[in-house]
Amino acid sequence: MNSYRKDWHWRLLTILILVVIGAGLWVATSKVNYTWRWNRVPQYFVYHHETVKRAVYDSRVIDVEEFGNSTTVKIRNQFDELETFTIDSGTLKVSPDESLFAGDQIGSIFKWEIGPLLYGLGVTLWISAISSIIGLIIGLITGLCRLAKNITLRQLSIIYIEIIRGTPLLVQIFIVYFFFGTVLNIDRMAAGIAALSIFAGAYVAEIIRAGIQSIPKGQMEAARSLGMNTPQAMVHIILPQAFKRTLPPLAGQFISLIKDSSLVSVIAITDLTKAGREVITSTFATFEIWFVVAFLYLTLTSVLSQVIAWVERRLAVSD
Amino acid sequence: MIKTIDLKKTFHGRGQVVHAVDGITTHIKAGEVVVVIGPSGSGKSTYLRCLNGLEELTCGHIYIDGVDLADRKTDMNKVRREVGMVFQQFNLFPHKTVLENLVLAQTVVRRRKKVEAADKARTLLKKVGIAEKEMEYPIRLSGGQQQRVAIARALAMDPKVMLFDEPTSALDPEMVGEVLEVMKQLAREGMTMVVVTHEMGFAREVADRVLFMDHGKLVEEGTPEHFFTNPQEDRAKLFLKQVL
Repeated sequence: MNSYRKDWHWRLLTILILVVIGAGLWVATSKVNYTWRWNRVPQYFVYHHETVKRAVYDSRVIDVEEFGNSTTVKIRNQFDELETFTIDSGTLKVSPDESLFAGDQIGSIFKWEIGPLLYGLGVTLWISAISSIIGLIIGLITGLCRLAKNITLRQLSIIYIEIIRGTPLLVQIFIVYFFFGTVLNIDRMAAGIAALSIFAGAYVAEIIRAGIQSIPKGQMEAARSLGMNTPQAMVHIILPQAFKRTLPPLAGQFISLIKDSSLVSVIAITDLTKAGREVITSTFATFEIWFVVAFLYLTLTSVLSQVIAWVERRLAVSD
Repeated sequence: MIKTIDLKKTFHGRGQVVHAVDGITTHIKAGEVVVVIGPSGSGKSTYLRCLNGLEELTCGHIYIDGVDLADRKTDMNKVRREVGMVFQQFNLFPHKTVLENLVLAQTVVRRRKKVEAADKARTLLKKVGIAEKEMEYPIRLSGGQQQRVAIARALAMDPKVMLFDEPTSALDPEMVGEVLEVMKQLAREGMTMVVVTHEMGFAREVADRVLFMDHGKLVEEGTPEHFFTNPQEDRAKLFLKQVL
């Protein structure tokens, strides 16, 4: 509170600068004659989907009964069979004893459906989550191999890390999808997740290695002197401490992974980015949609960093 | 109990070869308290670390209860269970509470039940005088308290031998006494102990035998009485003149 009173004018300046930048953008867009249509955006999150019910054969309406929101319509068709339709009240297009021809509209049902943006967000979340978990497992194994006594394990892990870190993710995605996808016959979703996991694994491996190496040697010696073997010492002593130290860089890596997952849209996976592009082709609301897409990515990453900050606070009890 | 025969340990680094331990032969009997002293860099810590296999032997043999540490077939983890070690830097596990520090190895290595291990841990914590700190994390304890926890942690494994690697060197002077007191009590109870230390008072009072090392060699050994009052070797005389 005290500091708040002391530096209020600096906080005001921050707000002022943001307002000026915003105003500048607004003026710039008004110069290019862009019509903002924000009202078109919400329907791409969720929309009211209408299913029209029609008579299949020539028939006659026998009975119409209304139960609150839904209405039941009973008709007898030309083969003398009884058919029942349930529709939303208020959409009723027929009256009792009316004759219907095949294809005549009886009424319709409205349902809330997930729009492409929300669907894309779900796909992005799913791809990122799965790739993070697989990437963490790959990274943990590779990180441990990197520190192993065995030279082959060490060399293989170094080769893997160097290849992945030395080539662009976009190229890796193409190679996994077009080469491995064709050779091993895997679908685009699996290829996308595989490419992201392998990519993340290499970075996680280096983070884990650094974390393990940052634990003082005495910890391993103390564990060994109590009769633990190396795996026991790793599991009970070294890794829990290393995990705590590697949490901030790991969080950064997983946040990067969420953002990098936008690259899988190039192999036609309908993630958030591709969904945004598809919506733009039907609305031409280019500016709005890209801003919304950016905002959705920002939401995902901020939620993740909040979660990690919470875990960090929980683990800080022994400091 | 511990037989050392012509033990050598050399380190290779930056083109130099260092003979840290250079041909030590000695025999430590069960129940004996042996204090190893010598100037820094004389190889006493390295010798101690060889005794529980933290350093690989270059050549020579160490027999603990007849088990040869130089034999490749020896399961070092089994040997280490019987040999407790206390470090200069305590090396407590910072992510575990004091009680967990004592319980962990008992359950993982000795396969004791949690309750049984906790009972033993509490008894030992009472013995070293910090029963009330069992739920604290090590970082909240003073150096002396941490070192006493480290001693209790080693004792929880029911070792036959206890090795102490300069246990009081990292402590503030006023905390040295409490740690030495615990060690004296252990010695009185008949524990076999090998202690590397600079505490000459402790050596004089508690040791059954003093080993004086210099440049990796065992220069002189004898009872504390003999060593402190009537050393034979010039190197030992010089050392004593400097430290006393």
